[in-house]
Amino acid sequence: MRPFGYQRPERLADAVQLLAEHGPAARVLAGGTDLIVGMRLGKYAPRLIIDLKRIADLPAGIEESPSGLAVTATTVMAGITGDERVRRRFPALAEAAQTVGSLQIRHRATLAGNVCNASPAADTVPALLLYGAVVVTAGPDGDRRIPLRQFILGPRLTALRAGELVRAIELPWPDAGSGSAFVRLTRRRGVDLATISLCCSVSPAGEVRFSFGAVAPVPFLVSDDSGALVDPAADPATRDQVLAGLSARASPISDLRAGADYRRAMLVVLSRRALRTALRRRKAGDP
Amino acid sequence: MNARRISASADMDAGQVGTSARRVGGVERVSGRQKFVADIRLENMLHVKLVGVDCARARIISVDTTGAAGVDGVRAVITAADLPTPMPRFGPVYQDRPVLAVGETKFHGEPVAAVAAETQEAAEAAAALVRVEYAELPAVLSVAAAADPAAPLVQDPGLRPASHLAETNVLQEWQFGWGDVAAAASEHVVENTYRFPMVTHFAIEPHGFIAAPDGDGVRIWSSIQHPYALQSAIARVLALPLSKVRVFAPDPGGAFGGKQHAKFEPLLAFLALRTGRAVRLVLTLEETFQAGRRTAFEIRARTGFSADGVIEFQDIECDGLLGAYADIGARVVSKATYLACGPYRVPDARIRVRALLSHTPPATAFRGFGTPQVCWAIESQMDEAARRLGIDRLEIRLRNLARKGERVVRGDKPADGDWAQSVRRAAEWIGWGTPLPPGRGRGIAVGIKGSATTGASYAIARLHADASLTVLAGTSDMGQGARTVLAQIAAQELCLPLHRISVVMGDTATVPFDLQTSASRSTVFMGTAVQRACAEIRSKLAQLAEEAFSLAAGEATVQDGVVRLPTKDLTIAGLLDEVFGDVRGEVIGVGSLRGEKAAGHPLGGPPAFYEFNCTAVEVEVDRETGELAIARHITVGDVGKALNPAQVESQDEGAAIMGLGHTLMEHLIFDSRGRIQNLGALDYRIPTSKDVPLELRADVLENADGPGPFGSKGSGEGGLLVIAPAVAAAVTEACGVTIRDLPLTAERIWRALAEQR
Amino acid sequence: MSEPMPVSLTVNGTPVTVTVAPGRTLLDALRWQLDLTGSKECCAQGECGACTVLLDGRVVNSCLVLAVEADGREVITIEGLAVDGRLSAVQDAFLAAGAVQCGFCIPGMVMSAHYLLADNPRPTPSEIREALSGNLCRCGGYNRIVSAVLAAAEAGRA
Repeated sequence: MRPFGYQRPERLADAVQLLAEHGPAARVLAGGTDLIVGMRLGKYAPRLIIDLKRIADLPAGIEESPSGLAVTATTVMAGITGDERVRRRFPALAEAAQTVGSLQIRHRATLAGNVCNASPAADTVPALLLYGAVVVTAGPDGDRRIPLRQFILGPRLTALRAGELVRAIELPWPDAGSGSAFVRLTRRRGVDLATISLCCSVSPAGEVRFSFGAVAPVPFLVSDDSGALVDPAADPATRDQVLAGLSARASPISDLRAGADYRRAMLVVLSRRALRTALRRRKAGDP
Repeated sequence: MNARRISASADMDAGQVGTSARRVGGVERVSGRQKFVADIRLENMLHVKLVGVDCARARIISVDTTGAAGVDGVRAVITAADLPTPMPRFGPVYQDRPVLAVGETKFHGEPVAAVAAETQEAAEAAAALVRVEYAELPAVLSVAAAADPAAPLVQDPGLRPASHLAETNVLQEWQFGWGDVAAAASEHVVENTYRFPMVTHFAIEPHGFIAAPDGDGVRIWSSIQHPYALQSAIARVLALPLSKVRVFAPDPGGAFGGKQHAKFEPLLAFLALRTGRAVRLVLTLEETFQAGRRTAFEIRARTGFSADGVIEFQDIECDGLLGAYADIGARVVSKATYLACGPYRVPDARIRVRALLSHTPPATAFRGFGTPQVCWAIESQMDEAARRLGIDRLEIRLRNLARKGERVVRGDKPADGDWAQSVRRAAEWIGWGTPLPPGRGRGIAVGIKGSATTGASYAIARLHADASLTVLAGTSDMGQGARTVLAQIAAQELCLPLHRISVVMGDTATVPFDLQTSASRSTVFMGTAVQRACAEIRSKLAQLAEEAFSLAAGEATVQDGVVRLPTKDLTIAGLLDEVFGDVRGEVIGVGSLRGEKAAGHPLGGPPAFYEFNCTAVEVEVDRETGELAIARHITVGDVGKALNPAQVESQDEGAAIMGLGHTLMEHLIFDSRGRIQNLGALDYRIPTSKDVPLELRADVLENADGPGPFGSKGSGEGGLLVIAPAVAAAVTEACGVTIRDLPLTAERIWRALAEQR
Repeated sequence: MSEPMPVSLTVNGTPVTVTVAPGRTLLDALRWQLDLTGSKECCAQGECGACTVLLDGRVVNSCLVLAVEADGREVITIEGLAVDGRLSAVQDAFLAAGAVQCGFCIPGMVMSAHYLLADNPRPTPSEIREALSGNLCRCGGYNRIVSAVLAAAEAGRA
């Protein structure tokens, strides 16, 4: 690792100022589970690391309001998987967060970090997309609120401007009576990166949405309001056709983990399974 | 006179042979006190970082070290120019490997320069400043490429002038067999090609080495499995007598064959002598992957069967893909293919084999030593024949399995176990023949691996004045529990409690010679040596008693830990007290077992024993995704006698999981420039705690029919040998696809299913 | 800016201060400056768990924690588990179950097991596997480790 400086501001405003001063030569540090690895590999070579974990006005935690939850930037994955409200109202997110690395990783890695890293295979992004997450940033020109859909612009590329950092991720309450699910494919049952991942939600009115991960440069949302996917009398072939049509919008690549055609085929298979779970949860009254 | 009779000591721990005595060294390991090589701190140690180039094969044009040498804290930066001319070379069979690359690099990761600095950070910073000017050259990376007569030569022909193959990439070739395959004709011939890819050991401890000057000699610390072989290699490259080379071998943190042979110790030795300081190199996990791997095999098998499924001939062509330096790769190929007919009766056999060089990391020893690769092919052949002929896959094996005393290789060691018994045990547990739940399949496979053919192990046992014991044995305890088993043997032989026995290993200056820890040989070779050392102690004790009590020769005996004289008994401690008094002393026993080379034998001699294994699995296939779940898995080993049952079982469990790794998920992926793309833990996947079979059982057969102490054979490799073909056969039964290339990833199975439709 | 800084933390109950460059990991500080070599280095990317320690009571990969981040924090390593020289219940259970082979993964495994039982005193085998899935073992089949944790849990209830 190239030598670097380390600062540990105690106020958010100071962190923003440091970031603005140093520009791309500075990087923020929350969990470090991506940053430290990247620095060791020479992928990142910041001159200054700004540790966010001692900022008094950015403590780890999930705040509740009438409109939903807000996950602060320093909240770790274990904080999300362990939160009763997330598990009950945003089960796909809890399930996705549970798959991020090992427990050792989940005690450090943050939701905000996973989002800002913007890997095409980020485990939590499909769930966040599904739930209509909004990214709240703090910067030299004040706060911004950016829908996640518009926040991740490409692989490893976000809408953050110079001097900005993410301070929270907001999750609006899902419609009562909707059902959602998360499912992913990996090379082994143990800790792994996603070969593909996806989430599904079904609204009380029968609108079906999927979000797909690791099958495009950026995770994305697709939806189907035809009703074919929720109609119990619908012919399975018709249903599969709809699912195939949705999966066709993916652009998976072949890499070390899997071939593109396998990924595309698995999108349909896993969509079917996630849909089944989401439908079951909708019926049961789970979100 | 008091006729005091003492019965066998009742105060012994459960340390006797055949009991699962607690692991010697276990307390140190669970408390973090165990010192592995990376934990050793010497005074004024320098840290070393290696410098290579970013491709498999390149002509080295120039190396500029001035920038590196200028970094604060750097004490040496060396290249081939700083080493003797001609470049010293080493290797366990062929001395082909240069201490540093000279003229050309031949595999990705081969060092061109080395930096030694006061801190790790300085060494890394300096290494990054070494400027290597190089021209990338086309690399040979596959069997086909290596076999192509137009391919560039991996090895300089000048290194093996006497070989007619020197102008090829064939390092060595063999033909084994008997009878007349050319004339053999069968009603049913099964012919297929099988591939076993390159995989890597991935011991949790990366390789580590330290070297330091030691007077007019040198000291080496290494995570090495073969300290005495390393001692020889260092002595040779430094032109030192063995007595001036001292190798310390801390217990390795897992090895599996990957730590058998010298890697960077010779380089460190030169650095130590040059700087006059201790120098330390601990490889990253990525560098460890680049340092050695399993030999990849491509096998074309043509097997003839009668209508009843009886094997009539085996016609096998095998290509083993070695790396850029021979290491022990040729032996891996020859030893495994010599037994390519497996544990069966085969009337006619022809086995044509080549060991090919390539611009990849050295193929070294790896648990199973070529046998898993060979079994992948021949056991899959058995399953295909059974399917074609409509014969049960268990039945076809029982029909062909050699019985005890029957030849498996003409003119060589016959079957030395009741192998069918293991098979029936496994079949019963897996419920062979009982109805299968839907979506599932079963597989059963057998295999033998030949143990050590030659070798030498010496042990010294020192009985101290208080009747406690120190055993000096040069075996490497890399997790298999050698310390414990050897202590148990000594405990049994001298009737001592286990807690009063110490086992010293890993120091060539104080511990006598052992050839190596490999081939599951140590229970037999070193175990026997320890037994003999203890027997010598008993004999000396009897003599001491006869002298002390003026008895005739033979009147004193030592039995069950008691010295029995005509008129009374003494404890051993009592006798020593009597004989030594205040001056004290000790009784030293030396034992050894040697297996000499048999002239004319292709492998140097018959194996001490065959390690036989039967593995059966029940597998579920998700036809939509191709994913496999191993529902049930049994491994049965014919071990003769389990000297420590828990240790044998845990070895076999570990072997089973490691085998599932190469069966389901492991393979090294190279790019076109010969660089491994999945270096490290992130993209080279091994089984985790969540990847184990739902039910896993390790069982042993103990017929006391081995050549080792108490009828033991060795074990540790068997559990790995035939998992892949068992799982593949189960997959075929579950969903109809037959796959002949490993690993059986979900994607591969899915693809095969899709092609089938 | 990148000069060494003092870091004060509590390690195994003892307050210590070490001077570290910002780039030094907690693992390296433990191993090289505090002579606590029980925590091991293997993958250096948080995949293998050999470096697992407790940081403020939670298991983390110390290879991914900068030493400076541990300022003011509490660290427990494998060396800190034995009390008055006596092995903890988890450590003893590992030995009794034959779960230890080469031992290199064991410090990390024991830390993860220790944390699990503190958090969940009655884990199921499946929960144990999940909790230990960040600790790789190459020698054993994991099953004896699971048995050890179950036994330690049992002993804790006795």
